[in-house]
Amino acid sequence: MKNPAQLLPTTRRDFLGYGVKGVGLLAFSRFAPSFLVESAYARTPAPESGRSILVLVQLAGGNDGLNTLVPHGDPAYRRLRPTIGVPDDQLLKIDDHLALHSACAPLHRLLQDGRLAIVQNVGYPNPNRSHFRSTEIWESASDANETLSTGWLGRYFDNACAGKPADPCGVHISNELPQTFVGEQPHSTFGLAPNDRGGRGGRSLALTEQLLADGPDDPHHNAGFLRHTMMDALVTEKRFQRVLGAYRPSAEYPANPFAASLRNVAALIASGASTRVYFVSLGGFDTHANQPNQHANLLRTLAEGLAAFQRDLDAHKLNDQVLTMTFSEFGRRPSENESRGTDHGTAAPLFVLGSGLKAGLHGTAPDLGVDRNQDLTFSTDFRSVYATVLERWLLADSAKVLGERHALSGFLR
Amino acid sequence: MPESLKNLSPAEAWQPLPAAQWDEGAARHLLQRIGWSASPAETTRALQDGPLVTLRRYFARMPELPKPALIAQLEREGPDLIRRGRGGDETQRRLAQQEARERSREAMMDLTIKWLQLAARPESAPAEKWLLFLQDVWVVGVEKVRNAALIYQHQDTLRRVALTNYPQVAKAMSRSPAMIVYLDLQQSQRDAPNENFARELFELFTLGEGHYTEADIKEAARAFTGYRQRNGEFAFVARQHDNSRKTVFGEQGAFTGDDVIDLVFRQKAAGTFLPREIAKFYLTDEPLPAAHLDALGAAWAKSGYDLGKLLAVFFTSRLFYAEEFRGNFIKSPLHYYLGLVQNLDLSVAPLPRQLIGALRQMGQMPFNPPNVRGWVGGKNWINSVTLATRRRVAEALLAPLNEENLNADERLDLDAAYAEGVTNFTLADETLAAWAALPPADRARRLVGLCLPQAAGTTLEAKIEHHFASTSGNPVNATRQALAALLTSPDYNLC
Repeated sequence: MKNPAQLLPTTRRDFLGYGVKGVGLLAFSRFAPSFLVESAYARTPAPESGRSILVLVQLAGGNDGLNTLVPHGDPAYRRLRPTIGVPDDQLLKIDDHLALHSACAPLHRLLQDGRLAIVQNVGYPNPNRSHFRSTEIWESASDANETLSTGWLGRYFDNACAGKPADPCGVHISNELPQTFVGEQPHSTFGLAPNDRGGRGGRSLALTEQLLADGPDDPHHNAGFLRHTMMDALVTEKRFQRVLGAYRPSAEYPANPFAASLRNVAALIASGASTRVYFVSLGGFDTHANQPNQHANLLRTLAEGLAAFQRDLDAHKLNDQVLTMTFSEFGRRPSENESRGTDHGTAAPLFVLGSGLKAGLHGTAPDLGVDRNQDLTFSTDFRSVYATVLERWLLADSAKVLGERHALSGFLR
Repeated sequence: MPESLKNLSPAEAWQPLPAAQWDEGAARHLLQRIGWSASPAETTRALQDGPLVTLRRYFARMPELPKPALIAQLEREGPDLIRRGRGGDETQRRLAQQEARERSREAMMDLTIKWLQLAARPESAPAEKWLLFLQDVWVVGVEKVRNAALIYQHQDTLRRVALTNYPQVAKAMSRSPAMIVYLDLQQSQRDAPNENFARELFELFTLGEGHYTEADIKEAARAFTGYRQRNGEFAFVARQHDNSRKTVFGEQGAFTGDDVIDLVFRQKAAGTFLPREIAKFYLTDEPLPAAHLDALGAAWAKSGYDLGKLLAVFFTSRLFYAEEFRGNFIKSPLHYYLGLVQNLDLSVAPLPRQLIGALRQMGQMPFNPPNVRGWVGGKNWINSVTLATRRRVAEALLAPLNEENLNADERLDLDAAYAEGVTNFTLADETLAAWAALPPADRARRLVGLCLPQAAGTTLEAKIEHHFASTSGNPVNATRQALAALLTSPDYNLC
């Protein structure tokens, strides 16, 4: 950045290169819009390879922790779960007290290989049992009695993504922008539909490109802002579509939208995009009735998808760079209900997956000595987990992002 | 050329626009901002009538929204459903709760469609947009209120007072059952007052931050104890009301809730609060200069906070028509969607799942703002996902209606509409074909004139014409593509 004027022609040529090499933004190629030139600056001097990447996996609806990480050694478990308790022949034991549901077999293998950490009984004080509100609490990392309009990773972007990075700070594979990504400042984020494989749009966007090719340039004026945002989205979309279309994964992914989402994340990571955070969502965990089969299928989808993703990263030698973490808005009530399901509860375990972590169980198991319809009391605050990821993985100041210091958990060194 | 805000002193700013400056551009500016679009017919009429007569016509009275059938059914059967649940065991209770939630969800969809249909009508659009604005100030959200009937009633109450004066709005809102639930007056007790409503009354509804103290909030909260709702009706519970002395804004007395509202409107900040919000909702992302707001605030307070007068002054003022504000405001998702419906001369299809889903993805689900602050608006409406959704919404209106995957209720509603002869839910193939038959230059002018009349004769029109001349494929498809490109262009997203 010492002499930006010198860099200008290079980055401009670089930009023009896309147009010619098949991204197909011919209409823009005469102009190299100012914001792209700026992003090209930000990309110099060095590519972002080697930086740590976080993949956040939302288990939407409230995952039943007690049937995921099963406390089979605790007699209270069978008392609370007389009909929907996971039978012994469907358990993969971790130790005398805990086991994973057999649908999580691929995760059990990763645990044995030293690649999976399980943080037990994660929650927060004064738990809220509304999906909407509790999701908001997890995404904003607020207390139960305060409402924040920003998300924890959005505030991380505020602190870490200064300037205009060449690629979006965050990519979400979901239709809605997750609150997690909303910062005090606007940040470049990008959303992809789960099943996207490239080739969308095509000819019908050609005229749109031409209409955008010239016009107001001042991004502080709304017309300039819209034009820039639209061009940015179009350029990003085209580049991403090309990456996704050309990607040849080195592992076989199951045929479902969740696995396809993870495949797309792997494709973008492998392409060398400077994006630091990805957000993927798997829904359907709100198992109020007839839970056992549904829940087993969801866990299988989760475990097989994550394992394929991890194999793919391994094959691309990207495993050192990527940490994957699950979260869910709440766990479920310890005692089953009359419909062979479970109602909204509180704390639950979460999974952290990667190469550079301290595998195994972390935190303490929940106390099952509860009355009927009583809830678990959390033992690890979810913000301790976030603080650990921020401090030890993203190398950010967690107090700036979370507003205060939290004790760190031991799953990262 | 319109005059610049920079050249307008606070006193000049609120004078009526000189007649000589009332031209087609000004008329379009007015119609685009008070409603969702400026059709050629409405623009011509407004141009003849002048701004004041136009405003009087649109704001003569609030339109009626008859109670949607599913809301009426929910009101009738809801209480019984809850009673049945209370009597039973846990399973029955859960089933009853589930059913109540489901009924409320369906009633919400019915209400949303009926409101969108009313708001899309050119003659009622400005009044319904004004109502949307008031609802964006006096926020209640269905996520917390959880009863569609209360949401309908809340809007209906606002409708009754929308053109009276602002203190009357505040008093009516403090008694709205949805508000009582949303801001926890229901849980407020004489010996344990809940401050939520009192705080937002000052901060978000009438004065703004910095114009009250924490002590004012605590004292005011006591004045609103005893405000409850029972089965959707306001109930004042005297034994829960704290009738002892309070000190609010330095004055002492055994104030009631209404007394506190009267005290609020003796504060200078009450004069500028709503005009500031109006400017933010209708005119500009940049705050207006404080001196200009003060001038309007003082005059408005003197009128007894008359809302009809405020609308007339604001929307006929020299400031409103200043050049800085022309074509530089990002349309909200509702504005974008209803503008499309009006520009293409369509009706709102009775397909709530598709429509509400799209509005949610664009960031503005009707009757459900993200929190008590309401929608932030401006640049916050725009990101890669909301832009892609705007495109999808526009493209869907240019192709035949997708009637696959309808559920039984949607099929029924759609067939009922067809039976009444309403079929214009998307752009008719014949209309597109007629345009496609025009020579490239005429076709380009026709399409640009339809969505962006101010851009007629510009390079935009030339680009569209060039596109037609250089496209060898089916001219109907080329016409559809050109419309999609125009309706998703930066210009069309602005008003």
